[in-house]
Amino acid sequence: MQFKDYYQTLGVARDAAAEDIKKAFRKLARQYHPDVSKDPDAEARMKEVNEAYAVLSDPEKRAAYDQLGKGYQPGQEFRPPPDWAGGFEFTHRGFSPAEAADFSDFFAELFGRMGGAREGFRAAGVRAQGEDQHATILLDLEDAFHGATRQISLRVPKLDDRDRVTLETRTLNVQIPRGVREGQMIRLAGQGAPGQSGAPAGDLLLEVQFKPHPRFRVDGRDLRHTLPLAPWEAALGAVVSVDLPDGPLKVRIPEGAQSGWQLRVRGKGIPAHPPGDLLLDLQVVLPPAATPEAREFYATMARELAFDPRAETRG
Amino acid sequence: MREQDILTGSLLEDTWLTLEQVAAACTVEPEWLAYHIEEGLFPHVEGLAGTWRFSSANLTRARRMWRLERDFDAAPELAALMADLMEELDTLRRRLRRAGLA
Repeated sequence: MQFKDYYQTLGVARDAAAEDIKKAFRKLARQYHPDVSKDPDAEARMKEVNEAYAVLSDPEKRAAYDQLGKGYQPGQEFRPPPDWAGGFEFTHRGFSPAEAADFSDFFAELFGRMGGAREGFRAAGVRAQGEDQHATILLDLEDAFHGATRQISLRVPKLDDRDRVTLETRTLNVQIPRGVREGQMIRLAGQGAPGQSGAPAGDLLLEVQFKPHPRFRVDGRDLRHTLPLAPWEAALGAVVSVDLPDGPLKVRIPEGAQSGWQLRVRGKGIPAHPPGDLLLDLQVVLPPAATPEAREFYATMARELAFDPRAETRG
Repeated sequence: MREQDILTGSLLEDTWLTLEQVAAACTVEPEWLAYHIEEGLFPHVEGLAGTWRFSSANLTRARRMWRLERDFDAAPELAALMADLMEELDTLRRRLRRAGLA
């Protein structure tokens, strides 16, 4: 196990005052805030920063860390002394058990992971039930129309026989309910982290995301689709067929429709409760004037229709 | 794939949960959550006889507010204001994506 220099992580001197440590932490917390940072490593960096702050902001843990870390360089192989008790009372610093459980092996070795961290939280009134776990599930839009069974693989930390944390791949087959929308959470009761000493396991929460669809854009319950129309369909009105994920739908285009109009077909979006709408963005497409006959048609229109598309834009 | 191997989930929006279950799902503490609901910092939360129906959006909101309060010692109202702004940012970003501009 490698020694971690928490002072270096926060960018503070070893004799930094508590106030300076707090300032340095806040600066980094702002820099790596998941809603703001464009840094792809932001999440991993924030984990390190949280871990460093959990130790250095707690006088007891900081003192223990300083004492143990004497003479160690960052990255150097670290072995705690044999009489090291570990299993610190995890003073509540606002890090949830799920976050604390995510801290490094180095942290766990020094201050205890499952035992220390959870014991402290349990004393603070939090149940000893297993943690809820979060994951994302990527679905096709079609799954929301038909429902589906999807297989997902999760990498979950697990304690082995010697109390070391290892990552284990777990595969689950999940029934996707029909009518599911982007951003919704599918809750699988009892599929989260196992509880301690017989307590029930936590839940697994899967956040639904859709893969980009070539023809439809999803907006909550609603589906948006750009519908190309021939000029005569737009001018004279028409009934056109739109291929939805659950089959074709006939839509009436009103006479005199224009590009940029939006038609709303109620209840034909995602089949949730209540169902969403289908929003059709009309786009009139001109046939190319590629043959003499086509050119003649356009010339005839120009002569016969006396149409000025810019009439309203003149001063 | 055998039938018994397939797990059937429930949608969070449609599920009534205890305060402890909601708090665990948000990875926050129940006391924290109870106080914030009481103070009206979560819009559209339904409570009935000790159980709660919490939207997925509110779950994200809880995690954001919790983090802001912890990392910056933000007052709950300030964290809620930040969460409002982030949600608006999310909405605008979604609109950009839909328009093919992001």
